[in-house]
Amino acid sequence: MMSATSMFGGASIGSLALDRSVFTAERAQTRSATNEDPIEARAITAVKAGDAGSYGYLVSKYTKRVVSIAWGIVRNAADAEDLAQEAFVKAYENIARFKSGEPFGPWIYRIVTNLGLDLIKHRKRFRHEEITDAAPAERRDRADLPAITNELAARIDRAIQSLPEMQRIVARLYLVEQFGHTEIAAMTNLTEGTVRSHLSLARGKLKEKLADLHGGNND
Amino acid sequence: MIDDTFLEQLRDDARQLQYEPDDVMTTRIAARVRARVSEEAAGGVAQLLARWFRPVVVSLAALSLAAVVGVGWLELYPEPAPGLDAVSSSQTVDVSVGGDVFSVE
Repeated sequence: MMSATSMFGGASIGSLALDRSVFTAERAQTRSATNEDPIEARAITAVKAGDAGSYGYLVSKYTKRVVSIAWGIVRNAADAEDLAQEAFVKAYENIARFKSGEPFGPWIYRIVTNLGLDLIKHRKRFRHEEITDAAPAERRDRADLPAITNELAARIDRAIQSLPEMQRIVARLYLVEQFGHTEIAAMTNLTEGTVRSHLSLARGKLKEKLADLHGGNND
Repeated sequence: MIDDTFLEQLRDDARQLQYEPDDVMTTRIAARVRARVSEEAAGGVAQLLARWFRPVVVSLAALSLAAVVGVGWLELYPEPAPGLDAVSSSQTVDVSVGGDVFSVE
């Protein structure tokens, strides 16, 4: 399995794409709420002043969510871990651009989403160029699968997974990660209208597949 | 934000699909990020020094290279010292015999 870090080749981790995401994240910050966690705000100020140790607070606060977002895109525990790590390092490298007083969450979510999208784009291109007759054997360990405790969740997961790529990513961010349209638009570099359109198409397909679960009572 | 009951219900049910990394994974991520971040912070001073020293080192290296090549060239192709023939051929000697002047090269 190619790890995200090795795929990106260290410093060349889609630096253009990352710069784009960081800059657009700065624009998006103007719309976001102010930071309501005083410890987080202090940690950001300290990191900006050169105290690398304070970054640990931000990492521990956001790791779980960041890994979950990354996993939703790449569906693989090892890659999700690498993406999360890379996202935190990139955020640290660009912390000077981060607007003080803003919450750190939307920024790091945006970075990890962009890294994930870059990774699957790269993989797709790589797969097209790859000359192989046999598909590689499916390898999964337990860590690759979320703890789906019931059949209902498993069905929803399969239904979301069957969607086309961007619909799948948008649907997952909306349904599973519980983000709003505006947040998803900021994270994926899509317009809010495009997010709504992806979600609407996904909704139609999900409704077909899950009609017996939630009924067809509201079209 | 939520458009309809279907999506609302689906959203409630899908919440449990969030991926929960275990403690080992979160600890590993924190440790790796810490290592890379402190590397970065330490690298900051080293990079600053390198930025100053690199051009100086490059200039000195270029000068040394030029000197070595120059000395080597001179050793391989030494410039010949002018001999007696060369001196005599370039000068004429006037000899006066019985009132006549002869020029000898």
